[in-house]
Formats: sequence, C-alpha cells, structure tokens
Amino acid sequence: MKYMLMMTSTTDGFEGYRAWPQNDVQTHYAYLKGINEALTESGEFVDTHGLAWPTEAKVVRAGKSGAPITDGVFPESKEFLAGYWIVEVASPERAYEIAARISAGPGPDGEPLNMPIEVRQVMS
Amino acid sequence: MKYMLMMNTMKLGVDPFPGWPHQDIQALIRFMVDFDKKLKATGELVAAEGLAFPDQAKLVRADKDGEPITDGVFPESKEFLAGYWIVEVATAERAYEIAAAASAAPGLGGAPMNMPIEVRQVMSCPTPESK
Repeated sequence: MKYMLMMTSTTDGFEGYRAWPQNDVQTHYAYLKGINEALTESGEFVDTHGLAWPTEAKVVRAGKSGAPITDGVFPESKEFLAGYWIVEVASPERAYEIAARISAGPGPDGEPLNMPIEVRQVMS
Repeated sequence: MKYMLMMNTMKLGVDPFPGWPHQDIQALIRFMVDFDKKLKATGELVAAEGLAFPDQAKLVRADKDGEPITDGVFPESKEFLAGYWIVEVATAERAYEIAAAASAAPGLGGAPMNMPIEVRQVMSCPTPESK
C-alpha cells in the first residue's frame, strides 16, 4: 500500500521557518535526510519532494477559450504543501509511525516540532 | 524545471460528483487517462497520483516519546488534495498551459469544469541553501 505523507503550513508558518537560525535549519535538514536514508534502506521509500515557497504559487484556471488564467491570490488561511513523502508500507500503522518520525523533526534549539503530518493512501 | 500541479478540490464529507450521471464520471476518467497519455508522449510527465477520499485522511503528530498520535480532525475549511501531476517543462508558462488543460476537464453534462489548479515549482528536496 502506498501512502502520501504531507507537510503543510500557512504562509505565517513558512515565514516563521525563514527566521530560524541557520544551524537549526541544518539540523532539521540532516534529520529529514536520515529519515530518507532509513526508508531507502527498508525498501519503503518511493518519492519525496519539497516545493517552492508559497509566494511562488499560482492558481490556474482555463478561460473560455481554454487559455490559462493565472492568479496568485490565496486566502490567508490557505495551507500550502511544503513537501511530501510517498512510502510503500505493509499497513497504515507503519505509515503513521513514519509520519510521527517526520513530525518529531527538530525545530529551533533542537526541540521536536511535533508538527501535524497528513497521511492518506495513494490510489492510482 | 519541475512543477507540481495540484487539484485541491476535495472537502471532507462533500460529494465531489454531486448528482453526476455515471457517464459523466466515466468521461472525466477517460479525459484524465488521455491527459496522462499526452503528457507521457511529450515526455513531460514525471508523476501523477490520485489520493483516497478525505474521510480516509489522518493527521499524525509525534507525542513526547515519538509515538504517533493519530486523529482525523481537520478544520472545516480545509481543502484536500484530490490528486496531482508533476511535469518537467521548459518554462513556467508551459506548466500553466498544462494546468489550464487539466482545469478544463469535463464535468456535469460534459461542460468544462474550469477548476482551480495550484501550480508550484518542485525542488529536488528542501535544502538549507533554498532557505
């Protein structure tokens, strides 16, 4: 079973991250890299990506002629996907375990963030 | 450049196809299959996935021992990711063109839905340098 583990945040959350000291960012990044390596070793890793900053996000709709209408305005409450993992696991519980490890990633001063991670099965 | 095209179109407890006849749902599925084929043919498709309905979604946090705390409580306003494409394209404009084609997928009675598609560049992974 494939599961998608999604890290989301509002624009405020992204701005908070931008204010982290560089060494805390390095520590967080090394932690995530360690998770990726462990998942690769266990054969559960499928994919991971981080996305560009929300200020780069566009919302696109087709106009009457089918040409793109591009807009960059989102509601303040909008949660943006910061990054995701796709894992191939034997049970949903295992996906939740991996999500908990990501959730516990170190934040400022190395304290676990315990941030929420959305977990949902991938269908296709 | 890689871009992620996201359909954030699902809401918890809301039927995504309210009152749609079976044939309209079939037409949408055919459109999506064909859409992926075209992107494969141009060499632009990197990945495409669809996700389970929002009622299957869990929100997971680590507790102080690192164990998962699992709940399914999301704010009512939350938009759920229904599916996405990752495309490899030469320009942002090409990503917007592809997004517009997905946006115009057929809906009720075959009319274009013109649904919103969020488009954002994909970084290979979050690096400290990308800060």
